[in-house]
Amino acid sequence: MIEVNGLAKRYGTTLAVDRLSFTVQAGVVTGFLGPNGSGKSTTLRMVLGLDRPDAGTARIGGLPYAGLRWPLREVGALLEARAFHPGRSARAHLSALAASNRIPDSRVTQVLELVGLADAGNRRTGAYSLGMAARLGIAVALLGDPPVLLLDEPVNGLDPEGIRWLRELLGSLAAQGRTVFVSSHLIGEMLLIAQRLVVIRQGRLLADESVAQFASRAPSVEDAFLALTATATTYRGGQR
Amino acid sequence: MRTTYGLGGLVRMEWIKVRSLRSTWWLLVMTWVAMLAGGLGVGLGYRSHTPVAPATQIANNALAGAVLGQLLFGALGVLMVGGEYSAGTMRSTVLAAPRRAAVLAAKATVCTCVTLPVALLGCLMAHAAAQLAITSSPVSRLSLLDGRVVRTVLATALYLTAVALIGLGLGAIIRHAAGAVGALFAGIVIPMIIAGMFGEAGIAVSRFVPMMMLANSIIVTAPVSGTLSAAAAVAVMTSYAVTGLTIGAVLLRRRDV
Repeated sequence: MIEVNGLAKRYGTTLAVDRLSFTVQAGVVTGFLGPNGSGKSTTLRMVLGLDRPDAGTARIGGLPYAGLRWPLREVGALLEARAFHPGRSARAHLSALAASNRIPDSRVTQVLELVGLADAGNRRTGAYSLGMAARLGIAVALLGDPPVLLLDEPVNGLDPEGIRWLRELLGSLAAQGRTVFVSSHLIGEMLLIAQRLVVIRQGRLLADESVAQFASRAPSVEDAFLALTATATTYRGGQR
Repeated sequence: MRTTYGLGGLVRMEWIKVRSLRSTWWLLVMTWVAMLAGGLGVGLGYRSHTPVAPATQIANNALAGAVLGQLLFGALGVLMVGGEYSAGTMRSTVLAAPRRAAVLAAKATVCTCVTLPVALLGCLMAHAAAQLAITSSPVSRLSLLDGRVVRTVLATALYLTAVALIGLGLGAIIRHAAGAVGALFAGIVIPMIIAGMFGEAGIAVSRFVPMMMLANSIIVTAPVSGTLSAAAAVAVMTSYAVTGLTIGAVLLRRRDV
């Protein structure tokens, strides 16, 4: 379970996340929806202890991220699509992370097979296509077989077959009782993947409900989303 | 079995990262080439030198390759952190180990364990090459086990390791590989030039400038008069490295990744 309570983060004069509170339950896939620049990534980074919130708390299974004993075995995360050293093989990247959390090296082979990179595992990631990089990012998240998964735009870079594969994978992970939190700005994709939705705009919570409830707000889910988020979004670009 | 992740696992992680990049091996091999070429060049140069050079003069210059070696080692240290920021892997690393100071400690451990043996071997090879190059020439030879030679080997290897650790600290502070390499090179070269502009006062300060310590205290069999002893110079370099790493650790903990 992920609990976000009064989370806030300001970059200069822009309030990226504004007293955001919501809970993500285990056993279902929860979509994290919002237009580009609405604060999704910032929120995820704060939940993961990468960015320090100006106010509020985020807990995973009752603990702040920094308090986890074996972080990779408790939380799996995908943040950027291509966060690998181009000169290092996928296997070496995974092995290094596995070593840090005493995850057996046999698990590296397992996740490479799981995401379909068994044959490409020893190649340098600089030569990977967008889709392969996306799959490696998912392999990293699954490395520690964690009960909680946070994936920021995991669909990016995947081809239609890969998207279906990911959808089925996330569904089965949730069915095993895991907490699966997936961000996206693509409403259509979200409806196929998620059972619950957390919707934000300009860092503020707009909705935290089931997909069915959300859909009942308007003739179509897309209409509901656009009606809810309809305000000019100002783009800030990535900040550190 | 430990109940939480710790330094042992983080050291293994950093070791896998370092060894899985070609740049590491290139930098280490190039360091050896620089050391070897320096020793060989000095030996060959003194073969027909008049007047005949004393044995200590060969030993004093045999480690000249360290001037280049320090830049290569510094780059290696920088890449261990700065490379993670450039590639975007720093977040993965910190997600695996949210105690960020422990990550830097693991990097420093691996950096030391890789660079120190390579530097020791490089220095020995340089002396051996210099001695080999003066065989059957009028210059008298000096054993590699001579106390003065051994001291230059130890001091130079420790100096080079300290430069790598300074690079590591700069990488953590600047978070940009190219920027940190630039800062390191500037830090090695510029103080030397500035010290040279101030005559007597400059000499007093230049005793603490890395490049000057290397040339006047560390690679030589006896320190140039008015400069630090080899041990003191190594201690000063170590303090630079510790300072850099401490600032790096504080910033790493404080800043968003």
